[in-house]
Amino acid sequence: MIDFIQMIVSGIAVGSSYALMGLAMVIIYKTSEVPNFAQGEMALITSFFAMMMLTTFNMPVYIAFFLAFVFAVALGCFLEFAILRRAKEPNVLGMIVITIGIEMVLLGFVSWKFGADQKVMPFPIGPYDSFIIGDIFIGKLELLTLVTALLLMIILFLFFKYSKIGLAVKATQQNSVAAKIVGIRTNRILMMTWGISSLVGAVAGLLISPVMMHPYMMWDPMLKGFAAAVMGGMTSLPGAVVAAYMLGIIEHLFGGYISIEFKSVVAFVIIVAVLCIKPSGLFARHYVKKV
Amino acid sequence: MKKLILALFISLAFLLSFTPNIFAEEGVTDTEIHLGQWGPQTGPAAAWGNVARGTGGYFQWINENGGIHGRKIVYHMFDDGYNPAKTKAGVKELQEGTGIFAWACGVGTSPGLAVRDYLAEKNIPWVGPAAGSMHWITPPQKNLFAVYPLYIAEAKALVKYAIEKMGKKRIAIAYLNDEYGKNGLRGAISELKAHGMEAVAQVPMEAKDSDLKPHVMQLRKSKADMVLMWTTVGHSARIVGISKAMQFAPQFMSTSTTSDFPFMMHITKGLWEGVITGTFGELPDSGYPLLEKYKKEVFDKYAAKEERWGMFYYAGIIFTEPMIEGLKNCGRNLTRERFIAEMEKIKGFKGIGPEVSYKPFDKNDIYSRQGTSQTFLVQCMAEGKAKKLTDWMDIK
Repeated sequence: MIDFIQMIVSGIAVGSSYALMGLAMVIIYKTSEVPNFAQGEMALITSFFAMMMLTTFNMPVYIAFFLAFVFAVALGCFLEFAILRRAKEPNVLGMIVITIGIEMVLLGFVSWKFGADQKVMPFPIGPYDSFIIGDIFIGKLELLTLVTALLLMIILFLFFKYSKIGLAVKATQQNSVAAKIVGIRTNRILMMTWGISSLVGAVAGLLISPVMMHPYMMWDPMLKGFAAAVMGGMTSLPGAVVAAYMLGIIEHLFGGYISIEFKSVVAFVIIVAVLCIKPSGLFARHYVKKV
Repeated sequence: MKKLILALFISLAFLLSFTPNIFAEEGVTDTEIHLGQWGPQTGPAAAWGNVARGTGGYFQWINENGGIHGRKIVYHMFDDGYNPAKTKAGVKELQEGTGIFAWACGVGTSPGLAVRDYLAEKNIPWVGPAAGSMHWITPPQKNLFAVYPLYIAEAKALVKYAIEKMGKKRIAIAYLNDEYGKNGLRGAISELKAHGMEAVAQVPMEAKDSDLKPHVMQLRKSKADMVLMWTTVGHSARIVGISKAMQFAPQFMSTSTTSDFPFMMHITKGLWEGVITGTFGELPDSGYPLLEKYKKEVFDKYAAKEERWGMFYYAGIIFTEPMIEGLKNCGRNLTRERFIAEMEKIKGFKGIGPEVSYKPFDKNDIYSRQGTSQTFLVQCMAEGKAKKLTDWMDIK
C-alpha cells in the first residue's frame, strides 16, 4: 500500500512539470491552432540565460529569475513578431515546420554558446531535498513545481475566462477576421500569447534546471507536456493540467506494477488510445459554428 | 612505330608522375599521417566529448616533438552527437573524401557499431574504441585493436569486491537498456552466479528517461545493500540523488564512465562521495610521472581554457598511446599491413592506462585483439578526490 501511495505521489510530482509544458502549448494553440514544437527549447534558452545571470554575473536568484522571465516574454514576442508573422500565406503545416525550425536553431545555439556538458543550476532548494511523511517522500522542488503549476493554471484560467484580453484571445481563435472587424488587434493578441506561453514554459525549465541542465533536458518534459495537451483536448487549460497529472500517475503505476522497461512509451500509447476513442481529447469543448 | 613509342613514353611519364600516390598508403604522405576520430561534442554523451579533445592535444604534442619519423599527424575529429547515423556518415565522408590512414578511439558502443563492419571490410585500422564492449572482439577483427577494459570484466571486478571485501549480500543492478548497459549487466550476473547468488533486482532504463523515481523505488523495494549502476552519467547522478531523497542508502558502485569524480561531485552536489567505480587509467592526483608529464606538456599547453584536467580528457591519450607505439615501430615504411603487424607485436606496453598486449590475429582468441583485462577500483572521497581501493587487477 505504501508503494502504491508513493507511486501516486511521485506521479503527481512529475506530472507538474508536464502540466507546465502542457499549459504553455495550449496557450499558443488556443489562439493560432499551431502546436509549438519550439516550446521546450524556448524554456531551455531561458533556463541557460538564468544560469548565465547566476554564475557569470553572480546575481541573486530572485533577480536572475526575474530577468529570465522578462527574457522569456521578450523571446516569445520576438519569435512571433519576427518569424511566425512573416510567414507568407501560412497554413498549419507550414507553421508547425517553422516551429520545428526554431527549435533546431535554439537547440544549436544553446549547445554552441553554453556547451553540452551536464550542469546544475544553483537554487535555494537542493534538487534532492525532500519531505518524508511516514514512508512516503516528496521532493521539495517537486512540491514547489506542483504548487506553481496549480497556481499558474488558476491564474491563466481566470485570465482567459474573465478578462477582456482573454475574451479577445477566444475571439481571435474562433474567427480572426471577425475579431479584426470588431477592433481586436489580432496580431498583438498572438504576440502576447506567445509571450505568456514562453513565460509558462520558462517556469517549467527553471524548476527542472536545479536537477540537471544540458541542451536536451527539455525534450522529455516537452513531449510529455504535448501528450498531456493532446489528451486534454489542446484548447483546455484545466484539461492539459489534469491530463498531465493522469499521465504522471499512470506512468508511475505502469512502471511499478507492469513494466519498468516500457514505462516511457506508455504516455504515447495513451495518446493513441485517447485519439481513437475521443479525438477531441478528454476535456475540450470545441466551438461549433451555428449555420 | 614512332607514334607507338611516343605513346608508350607519354603513358610511362604519366604513370611515373603519379607513382608516389599509386604506391603510397591511403592517408599517408611523405610528411603527413591522417588519423580520424568521432566524438560527441553535443548530445546526450557530451560529457565524454573531452576524450576526442584529449587525443587532439596529445597529437599536437607529438607533432611539436618532431612527429612520427618525420611525419606530422593530421587529426580529423568530428562531432557525431552520439548519433550512430551521424557517425557512419562522418566516417564515410572522411574516409572516402580525405582518406584516413587509421581511426582512433571514438566514444560509444552504438556509434562504434555503426562503422565497425565498414572499417573491417576495408581493413582500415581502428585502435582503442572508447567503450569496453564485447562487440569489438566477438569475433575479433583483424583491423580492430581494443584498449578499454571490457565492461563485463569491470562489472565482475566491482561485484567481486562488493561480495568478498565488503560482505554485500543483496546486489541490485540498474542498467541502460542498450548494449553498453547490458554488457555491465552480463558481467555482474556472471560474477553473482560464480558466488552462488542472484541479483535482487534488475532495473533497466532508457537513455531518454528523465524521471527515475519508479526505477529507484524498485531498487529500494529490493532492499539491496549494493546497487551497481551501468547507466549514463546523468542517470547515475539522478539515481544517487533520488535514493538520498528516499532515504535509501545502499553502497553504490558504477562503471568507469562515471569515474571523473570532480565532475560527478559537481553534478550531484556532493552526493557522489562514497561511490565506488572501476577505472582504466592512473588517477589524476596519483603523481604518476608520465601522467604528470602529459598534464604539463599536453594539457597545460594545448587544452582550451575552459577544459578541465580529468580522467575523460586523458582517456583520449590512454586509448591512443598503443596506436602511437605501433606507428613509431613501423619506421618510415608505413602501410596498414605493416602497422597491423607492429600492433600485434606490442607486449606489456604501459602508458598511463592498463598494461596492453596483443597477439597475431586469431579469430578464436579474443585476447589477440583485446589489449587488456586490467582494471582497478577507486572510491570517491570528499572534494572529488579518489581513494585507490585495489591495485591493477587482471579480470577475465
